[in-house]
Amino acid sequence: MVVISPDTAAAWDRALLARRTTVLLALVLLTVAACSLTTGAAGTSPWTVLADLLAGREVTVADRVVLFEIRLPRLAMGALVGASLAVSGAVMQGLFRNPLADPGLVGVSAGAGLGAISAIVLGGFLPAGLAAALGYYAVPVAAFLGGWASTLVLYGIATRRGRTSVATMLLGGIALGALAGALSGILVYMADDAQLRDLTFWGLGSLAGATWTKLAAAAPLMCLALLYAPTLARGLNGLALGEAAAFHIGIPVQRLKTVAILTVAGATGAAVAVSGGIGFIGIVVPHLLRLATGPDHRYLLVNAALLGAALLILADVIARIVIAPAELPIGIVTAVLGGPVFLWILLRQRGVLDL
Amino acid sequence: MLEATDITVRLGRREILHGVDFRARPGELTAIVGPNGSGKTTLLRALTGDLSQDGRVRLNGQDLSSLRPWVLAGLRGVLPQATPLAFPFTVAEVVRLGLMGGIEAAEADLVPKALARVGLAGFEGSYFQELSGGEQQRVQLARVLAQVWRPTANGCPHWLFLDEPVSSLDIGHQLQVMRVARDYADQGGGVVTVMHDLNLTAMFADRVTLLAEGRVLAQGTPADVFRDEALSRAYRCPIRVNTPPEGGTYLLPHAAGQVAAE
Amino acid sequence: MIRALLATLVLAGPAQAADRIVSIGGAVTEIVVALGEADRLVARDTTSTFPPAVRELPDIGYARRLAPEGVLSVDPDLILATEGAGPPETVDLLRAAAIPFVEIPDGHDRDAVQAKIVAVAAALGVPEKGAALAADVDAALDAATAQAARGPRPRVMFVMSVQGGRILAAGRNTAADGIIRLAGGENAVTDFEGYKPLTDEAVTRAAPEVILMMAREGAEDMSDQVLSHPAIRTTPAAAARALVQMDGLYLLGFGPRTAQAVRDLSDALARAGS
Repeated sequence: MVVISPDTAAAWDRALLARRTTVLLALVLLTVAACSLTTGAAGTSPWTVLADLLAGREVTVADRVVLFEIRLPRLAMGALVGASLAVSGAVMQGLFRNPLADPGLVGVSAGAGLGAISAIVLGGFLPAGLAAALGYYAVPVAAFLGGWASTLVLYGIATRRGRTSVATMLLGGIALGALAGALSGILVYMADDAQLRDLTFWGLGSLAGATWTKLAAAAPLMCLALLYAPTLARGLNGLALGEAAAFHIGIPVQRLKTVAILTVAGATGAAVAVSGGIGFIGIVVPHLLRLATGPDHRYLLVNAALLGAALLILADVIARIVIAPAELPIGIVTAVLGGPVFLWILLRQRGVLDL
Repeated sequence: MLEATDITVRLGRREILHGVDFRARPGELTAIVGPNGSGKTTLLRALTGDLSQDGRVRLNGQDLSSLRPWVLAGLRGVLPQATPLAFPFTVAEVVRLGLMGGIEAAEADLVPKALARVGLAGFEGSYFQELSGGEQQRVQLARVLAQVWRPTANGCPHWLFLDEPVSSLDIGHQLQVMRVARDYADQGGGVVTVMHDLNLTAMFADRVTLLAEGRVLAQGTPADVFRDEALSRAYRCPIRVNTPPEGGTYLLPHAAGQVAAE
Repeated sequence: MIRALLATLVLAGPAQAADRIVSIGGAVTEIVVALGEADRLVARDTTSTFPPAVRELPDIGYARRLAPEGVLSVDPDLILATEGAGPPETVDLLRAAAIPFVEIPDGHDRDAVQAKIVAVAAALGVPEKGAALAADVDAALDAATAQAARGPRPRVMFVMSVQGGRILAAGRNTAADGIIRLAGGENAVTDFEGYKPLTDEAVTRAAPEVILMMAREGAEDMSDQVLSHPAIRTTPAAAARALVQMDGLYLLGFGPRTAQAVRDLSDALARAGS
């Protein structure tokens, strides 16, 4: 039973509701995770495998592969990617002071997409040694580098004399996106049929390529960003009053912006690199949480991580079983689920939302 | 003590303030008045650390540029003219934004207290964006008060910087807010406020600085500054100062009839 | 379970005991059926549509984007995959699950057809049947190409789509190019390799006498839409209303029905040209 002090019990205090939501979301996440390990096209049951292992009995190779090489890494990847995208969305919305902002505004998605397309189409031109060393990690590595490159370029454009202008960042991001789109278009033209299919599927997003190696590479960055993000909460709250007022209440605004941008670039860059283009989590999750428990970032960021993780794992389960034994790209599931929700949010807030 | 020496501020190629000297003492309410475009808000922003400028500003003996944002926030609160809010925070949450500096633990029910001071008791659960302009302004004042609740701490005075704090309030609330500022000064804090309303200034201010075209035209008590000739020159229209026989508050009706053709 | 253990023991040699086979690739599946080994199949991919009976088998998805758990769920003991199946991580996972994964080389000429049949037969452990089938197909191809060579050599343009007003045509080094040449035609589009969009002027300059397209089952007849395209209207093909549509897998699969496809195509080209 949570001890409630007189202050927190006040009727107007949404903090209590937010804290309870955290506990609830944690439980939901655990449930969905268990569901993810239990469900799949193959009939493998983790409980049976666990029992066998503990009893010292032999586990089939297939079961072992399904559980430890397919479902478990997918679960970990889904949780981290979902959390990263949702938290990045929340941070971006706080930074741009706009509930429609999404992680792509720092330029990560445009650059990552261009990097991935380049790797897919031009991969054959890499020197043999490098190609062999990268193996099938060429695309994620290229996507990651592309995401960072475009973020740094955008940051450089938007920052003058030590001050980053979010308005310039927004417009610059549009320009950069257009440029990346043009270059991608050239590469798409050069692509052969097989490469075009690969491009398309990359864009739709998937957790199917989750391996422990990819996790080892991407997880540290995502975890770092996720652990660091809550420290931005106070600053993002203050930023809602505008940059001048935020400074007045003691927030180092420029440092906040820089750290926020780097955090989002790191988390989203790693997420997009390993899972392709997954949409809607970054916008819809923070929105829903704001509607439910208020815009206080101290709770919003943590809850966003939990809800984002749970939603993406759930979407992955759906992707894996709806047309079994084949699999839907997860971006389709998040779009089908997220699109209508987003529309509902917009319609609900028609009067309040004013750009 | 707040001391600003030789403040010059440039925006692009225009010089907004030319070598302005300004002084304010704790325990006093100092008003900055002047016509539109005279640089009042710019001067205030230079005093609060928002702008970079030529010249020096010292707050409580320390150079302003040497103070980190969070240290500065512990010494002074700023109420700007308009404060938009990007997300649907409740009134209580907005007031609490000012508390992030750490007094939260010391004063548990500071939020209701601050709201009561500005006449908004009971508004804690309302959504800020649904309030009227005047109510929103008073909520922001409550936030600023919550930030520097105690006028002095450890012998160090705290400061309130207000930019036209009564511009969208009805006269009853105008007097209420000015009394809040007055009380703060009486309890040892320093108050610097940009004012449009010369009558209220005359009623509540200890000292007045009159700006025109980026320069100080006059400084001193209201009695010293509010003279026909100085005001008329500054505001470029004939103004007559009236003193009621009982003394004290000065009333400043604008000249009736035609504005003198220049 | 025992089956899987046995399969790992015979990993090195042809999996004669394999009777839970996943076949990936339209031509590969056709060959398995043509070899008389259809009852050993348990699953196929999306492009495996012939003969109609194989559509009853579970579909494990698109060849280049296999779902590892999906493939494992049908409990296979051998996977036959056309070249280019993937992604590579999934192939590694399946190999790690001790399932033999045999890649069948792809190609679009006579030798490629032979190689596919031989490779599939070897993997299935029926090399004699494979040799026989390969010989039959080779002989049929001899006859078909000889007959095709006797007729005129029309200029043929394979159009993949006219989506959005853009003509996507087949250049060199494509399955379409291969089958056109086998059927005695000449690819009107030789400036590039692969499938690329053509400008309207390039279409006019190519001046194909016949337009060749894939027929999509269930889709409405595209003839009018294609022949009335502004660029195509300028071609001799449009003037003669020479548009040939054939099933995609049949036409471009380069499987065991290649000889019949060549014959049908050369007949159609001759009819269209007249």
